[in-house]
Amino acid sequence: MTPDQIGPQKIAAELSEMPPASAISLQMSVDNYLDVIRGVLDLFANKKGMDTIYVTATISSEAIKRVLQALDIDTSRIYFVDCISHIMMGASAAQQDDHTTLVESPTMLENLMLKVEYLIRRSQSKDKLVVIDSINSLAIHNNNWILSEFLHILVSGLRSREAFTIILSVEEHSTPEINNMVNLVCDHGIRAGKEG
Amino acid sequence: MPLKMGERDRCATGLEGLDTILYGGIPRSNTVLLTGSCGTGKTSLALEFLIHGAQKGENSLFVSVTENSEKLLANIIPYKFFDKSLIKSGRLVFVDLPIMYERLGMTKAELSMEEIDLLVAAISDLVTELGTKRLVIDSITSVCYKLKTSEKIRDFILKLGKSLSDLNCTTILVGEVSAESTSYSSFGVEEAIADGIVLMANMERRGDLLRTLQVIKMRGTMHSRAKYVLDLTPMGVLLVPLLKGGSTA
Repeated sequence: MTPDQIGPQKIAAELSEMPPASAISLQMSVDNYLDVIRGVLDLFANKKGMDTIYVTATISSEAIKRVLQALDIDTSRIYFVDCISHIMMGASAAQQDDHTTLVESPTMLENLMLKVEYLIRRSQSKDKLVVIDSINSLAIHNNNWILSEFLHILVSGLRSREAFTIILSVEEHSTPEINNMVNLVCDHGIRAGKEG
Repeated sequence: MPLKMGERDRCATGLEGLDTILYGGIPRSNTVLLTGSCGTGKTSLALEFLIHGAQKGENSLFVSVTENSEKLLANIIPYKFFDKSLIKSGRLVFVDLPIMYERLGMTKAELSMEEIDLLVAAISDLVTELGTKRLVIDSITSVCYKLKTSEKIRDFILKLGKSLSDLNCTTILVGEVSAESTSYSSFGVEEAIADGIVLMANMERRGDLLRTLQVIKMRGTMHSRAKYVLDLTPMGVLLVPLLKGGSTA
């Protein structure tokens, strides 16, 4: 699988072609990280009306919510599994509510899967999207063996539930091992470069 | 679906993950020891087993030994699928064993052999009267403290298990062990007599404490022997496989 390099504005069009139960690898640059998140969430949570489960291990759910609010993106269908606030001792800022579930540490990968499972079961929406942000952040806290096993079980489980999965990775922080791990479980790769 | 030759009827627990582990559920009328240290989710799992049974129209009985049932219900997870009408309709019944002891005049610290027979008969009568198909005794360890000797414990569990099995009742006996224990039961007898053992534990991995579940034995069915990680949620007990890449055990 060779990722095609396209601009953030075209990502939405590319993603919307994907059939249900697809797993997509979305590699981006640090520079267009926010553009990509905006594109993905705006397309799936708003335009497609999908319940979106956003697993964040990079920045806190509170920070992402603030960005989305600033960009005027409706977050009512977005449910966060926040793996980073607790370990940063910032759990009080990211209070657990109907839209935010905290996982104590990004090393607790089983608990991460359990929270995703819980939100999928709770969701009334027919179509669901799970975004993993990002594989590189999870790789900081976990070795490749356990991370690879985690991705395999998670993505297989999501496929069986016909959920759509997007695994984000940051080009500058990726290694060949991480890329192989992601490629193994994904059907399609998109490389988000600069627009144009 | 008709049963294949030699296959036993199942009591589906209603916990999706556990039923998968057990290839469809607990063989009906088995007596299962659900054991583990404190805070591992034993009572929540046992209660969910009863709620799912009651929802399917099977009369379910919770015999509480250590805490009164009102307190138990107040502290239980607010299950989204729990409907209080199950209690009002009598599908789900809570009985406090200390009240039964009192009514049976069992006031001494240690029960005699005659009193053991009386207790088994009283529980069996209750099961018959209520038409109970699912029973939980929480905890069997507390009952065993009143029996003191291994002989009495063996006698009690054997007679109770036989009687409940004859009544086609599927039973979960909740057992308590210390976190350091290498045995599956406090007295070492319960585990040998039960038809099945489900072990719940806290597992530490690199400073993280994970709740785990493992089916050690289950007569009458094939089952997974792998360790699973569980979470207690308002949607019930959820299970995922323990990731082996990070296992310390």
